[in-house]
Amino acid sequence: MEAEGERVMVLEQLATQTGLPEWLLRGVLAPLVYPGLGAFAAVALFIIWAERKIAAKVQMRVGPLYVARRLGGALQLLADGIRITFQEIIVPVTVEKKAYVAAPIFAFAIVAASLAVIPGGPGVYGFSSSVSLLVPFALLGLIPIVIAVMGWASNNKFTYIGAGREILVTVAGEVTLLASLLATAMMYGSLDINKIVTMQIRTGIPGIVVNPIAAFLFFVAALLMTDRIPFDVVLGEQEIVQGPYTEYTGLLFVLNMALDYGKLYALMLLFSDLFLGGWMPFDGVLLGSLTVFIKTIVLMLIAIFLRSVYGRMRIDQIASMFWSRLFPLALASLVISAAVHVVYTP
Amino acid sequence: MGEEKSSRPRINLIKAHIDAIGAALRRMTKPPMTLMFPDYEEAWPEGYRGFILYDYDTCIGCSLCAQICPARAIKMYRVPGDKKMRPGYNVGRCIFCGLCVDICPVDALSYSYVHDEVYSEVKPMNMDPIDWTLWSKRIKEKEKSAKPKLKPVIDEDVGLRYEVVKSVEGEK
Repeated sequence: MEAEGERVMVLEQLATQTGLPEWLLRGVLAPLVYPGLGAFAAVALFIIWAERKIAAKVQMRVGPLYVARRLGGALQLLADGIRITFQEIIVPVTVEKKAYVAAPIFAFAIVAASLAVIPGGPGVYGFSSSVSLLVPFALLGLIPIVIAVMGWASNNKFTYIGAGREILVTVAGEVTLLASLLATAMMYGSLDINKIVTMQIRTGIPGIVVNPIAAFLFFVAALLMTDRIPFDVVLGEQEIVQGPYTEYTGLLFVLNMALDYGKLYALMLLFSDLFLGGWMPFDGVLLGSLTVFIKTIVLMLIAIFLRSVYGRMRIDQIASMFWSRLFPLALASLVISAAVHVVYTP
Repeated sequence: MGEEKSSRPRINLIKAHIDAIGAALRRMTKPPMTLMFPDYEEAWPEGYRGFILYDYDTCIGCSLCAQICPARAIKMYRVPGDKKMRPGYNVGRCIFCGLCVDICPVDALSYSYVHDEVYSEVKPMNMDPIDWTLWSKRIKEKEKSAKPKLKPVIDEDVGLRYEVVKSVEGEK
């Protein structure tokens, strides 16, 4: 209840100081600053560097080093980003120009929009609703369509194959993701993310303890949806260059690359809210937000660490694994949810 | 189909995953086994055959080096103001076999430990005797101002490890 009072205070103060309505402030600040794009940019710069550094460590190499040597090459990604931002955007003659240019922008905008709903701290969200758990899932479910458009508009064999794989992978992964989300919603008896977090704080038990299978399925399905390494058939560098993103250069390619990391960020933010208790040990806006942020980064580090552990899976292996192993497991997690539902009933 | 399935080795899935992750974590704790090249260099083995260096004053102009050279990297030139023919050197053609150094009767030719030089044009790679003499002096300077030298050592734990070599000058 203390958190409730404080969060209203902070935003009201901001609203009265700037003279803007509170909903507008929320709707702009959350998707653009935190937990939205500003925080995401910082996370992406850190995570991609960490990905290269961790992979290098496991393979007993050194990894990026020469940009900002004292920080272990931490500014490498900034340098790469500046380079690629000023690169020429080449639009090939054979592509469908409007769709080709619009698709990455659309896709990234969808990811950014989904960040408006996911709370990044106590009261730090764009808008809340009683079905806010479904919104990010519905928005992220739109992205494969845009990626299919991207692959089709690029008019290239690699992009066709990549787009086809994206659709197959999404069909396999989204069912599992949705089943685990349903199990979660059933466990808490609510579709409101804010309410779910408050429930975990009230009982003091994070969701991962009560229903670990749903959490595991969510994590694995998130890895599949974001093309992380054990399931990176969509990008398949060995055989189809960059999958649907093959024909892109410059800033448009940056958007495409940020797309996968943005999806990962959104899903891991959702994971820390749903299963790790969100801002659990703390109540304050600042400390609570920091807690969620750190939880998200740790989850993303685990996700990128798995890159150096596993090899690629074949498409048919992925499809059979998700449909015949993980989907029944998702149904089992529904049964568990029905059983442990009592924990969170007030 | 049934036979195929039964012949497949059974593995414990959970244990296999934990083993894989544990192996990756264990390797993360080990030091890297790379040579940080521009800052450190690998130590030269004894009798390393790099660029051929030329001493103008010792040379007697016998042209044996030009005759023995299998790649025709050495040719004899007429130098203005000198009665003898003198050898010139084409770095681009040299195969670093060292036959010229072996055959030189007065040891005017010698090996260097350097063989990494970058040329943006073909022309300066073909040197006349005077150029070769000056270039040899420059290469010798480069040898002296070399980076710290490391030597690869087989390590039981990591596989490969680089150790600092103390007395490079003594080996020379």
